Amino acid sequence: MLSSAAEPLPVTPPSVTPPVRKICHVDLDAFYASVEQRDDPALRSRPLAVGGSRERGVVAAASYEARRFGVRSAMPSSQALRLCPELVFVKPRFEVYRAISRQIRGIYEAYTPLVEPLSLDEAYLDVTENLKGIPWASRIATEIRAAIRAETGLTASAGVSYNKFLAKLASDHRKPDGQFVITPEMGPGFVEGLEVARFHGVGPATAAKMHRLGIRTGRDLRERPLAFLQQHFGKAGAHFHAIARGEDDRPVRPDRPRRSSGSETTYPQDLTETGQVEAGVAALAAEVAAWCEQHRWFGRTVTVKLRYADFRTVTRSRTRPLPVRDREALIAAALELVRGLFPLRRPVRLLGVTVGAAEAEAGAQPSFDFGHPPPAGG
Amino acid sequence: MKFTVERAILLKALAHVQSVVERRNTIPILANVLIAVQDGTLRLTATDMEIAVVEEVAGVQVARPGRTTAPAATLYEIVRKLPDGAKVELDHAGGDAALKLRAGRFNTDLAVLPVEDFPSMTEGKLPHGFALPAGQLRELVDRTRFAISTEETRYYLNGIYLHAAEGEGGKVLRAVATDGHRLARVEEPLPKGAEGMPGVIIPRKTVNELRKLAEEVQDEIAIRLSDTKIRFDIGPVQLTSKLIDGTFPEYDRVIPRGNDKVLTVSKKEFAEAVGRVAAISSERSRPVKLSLDRNHLLLSASSAEQGQAQEELDAEVVKYEHTPLEIGFQARYLNDITDQISDQVEFRFADGSAPTVVTDASKPEALYVLMPMRV
Repeated sequence: MLSSAAEPLPVTPPSVTPPVRKICHVDLDAFYASVEQRDDPALRSRPLAVGGSRERGVVAAASYEARRFGVRSAMPSSQALRLCPELVFVKPRFEVYRAISRQIRGIYEAYTPLVEPLSLDEAYLDVTENLKGIPWASRIATEIRAAIRAETGLTASAGVSYNKFLAKLASDHRKPDGQFVITPEMGPGFVEGLEVARFHGVGPATAAKMHRLGIRTGRDLRERPLAFLQQHFGKAGAHFHAIARGEDDRPVRPDRPRRSSGSETTYPQDLTETGQVEAGVAALAAEVAAWCEQHRWFGRTVTVKLRYADFRTVTRSRTRPLPVRDREALIAAALELVRGLFPLRRPVRLLGVTVGAAEAEAGAQPSFDFGHPPPAGG
Repeated sequence: MKFTVERAILLKALAHVQSVVERRNTIPILANVLIAVQDGTLRLTATDMEIAVVEEVAGVQVARPGRTTAPAATLYEIVRKLPDGAKVELDHAGGDAALKLRAGRFNTDLAVLPVEDFPSMTEGKLPHGFALPAGQLRELVDRTRFAISTEETRYYLNGIYLHAAEGEGGKVLRAVATDGHRLARVEEPLPKGAEGMPGVIIPRKTVNELRKLAEEVQDEIAIRLSDTKIRFDIGPVQLTSKLIDGTFPEYDRVIPRGNDKVLTVSKKEFAEAVGRVAAISSERSRPVKLSLDRNHLLLSASSAEQGQAQEELDAEVVKYEHTPLEIGFQARYLNDITDQISDQVEFRFADGSAPTVVTDASKPEALYVLMPMRV
């Protein structure tokens, strides 16, 4: 498949120094858990996990009371219970979280249209030029946090700085229910003393690699030349080189286009019959199709994921020349893919259906499908 | 080397060759034109290492044969500013000596670079050869070059794919260009000698130089090629170019065969309406929506800031007898194609999101495929 992102040539930006930006990162404190405690007084001040308590469940969010025991999100529920036997589990209510997230987004949009949500509980705001004409970004952060508390009863933390990287670090600095400003003067110094593992884009594997190279703090990172970082970290090297100096020119992009949409389910009991697997895949495909229809968002690549009881996972996907637009077509495509995995070699614990490679927004210019890109050379 | 030539003759030849010289150049010799005189003939050569243009000029009074190289742009500027009818004398004593240019009371010294440093591009065998009437070559170029991709990562689309193919009415010489969003395919009867030719991708710059040079010619243009190089003999000018070393995609698979919803619309009314309606949009891609109903076409565009615009075309200029259809295209893509069409535009649609075929109702040898936008 050829790149579908082939847009007309970009216009060269004018080479003037941009004004210092004012970026806010707003992060709701223990969002899902706080919502549950808000709505059920019996849960307040108790260690709480949102997620499944059953053997295969995972903690989606933990209240601050639970975090004191070491319970973290994405932790298997069984491990969380070992750490905190008092832990109360509640089922997530995503429709409620989504509704609150929309409500809070309305608060942001009273200040700026440049809102980039990262998830239901986190967003970047560019308030350099804001709708209320407030010159102090920290004042905007204070107002937004007060409005969130008044309208939803929830607390949020905010970070204010001159780019996204530092704004996100700043919101973590006084969490929960606090805010912090990193000014251009403070930026480089703030980064110097930080552990590299706290940097955006430095996951556990990268952090371990940096440690092997003797890089533990922002200062260590800053001392390494660009060529060295590029040699060891490839494309990300330039990003690390910049953030070590507190630099990050990524814009706040409102409504980031989605790249894929999918649904998956772990079954309470493993599936052993092909008929069960087909029914499961068809149900998931129908769910994804409903989402696509509702959001006018259609992808061209259909992927089916299947995890066996022994945790071995296989995926099968196919990219079509045109987006899959209707429910029947998506179900048929998903079934065709999963049937390629029959007969079942072992019981199945999880199934997933994803649609990706979308050209979603109106105004997108799709490309021809020439099949495989031709090889280089004559 | 010393010779005299009429200003107009020299100017014309310099204009032809200097146009391939890159303005920003890191290799000094490539900014120069090679000037050689022998047996009453002047030969001017310029190259950018991808393309070389050689022009032979007769009617030169040679006092002393020889060769040198001088800055092409400067020489061209000077000759251009000389008065019409002037006689120009170029005199080079050899070696590092400056090239002296005299015309009337004007004279100048131009720095030269050694002839030995001037790269030669003309070697290598060109086993395939045929000739095309200049008019046919112009048609092949004009109707395809707007679709050439400018995206350098897909270098194999940065040119016109010229090849022998089996057309509907027999063997044809076919030119194809595409940028992945639209495709242009034009064919002419296969000329003698082109049967065994390899398919070649002629780079965009070569195409543009060729088109300029072909403008003034009425006769046949002789073409010789191998799988790495192509040469055009255009009157007194010889254009040699490297070819793009890549594989052109299987374009045939994106040309739909079964599109059955046919719209015929008068070119003038359609093109003008597209221009007017698209003017509302400030986006670069300027999407225009076509809403079709029986013998009725509504063109519309909207923009979040500017508002919206629409225009109706009815049975006077529109013929469409299928189920209603909505489809969107970039205004520029539509106009690039209608620019090539003389009277009636014929669209063949499958549905609102599938590639659409566009043809000139009176010229079936040219075919365009357009990928719709989301609207």
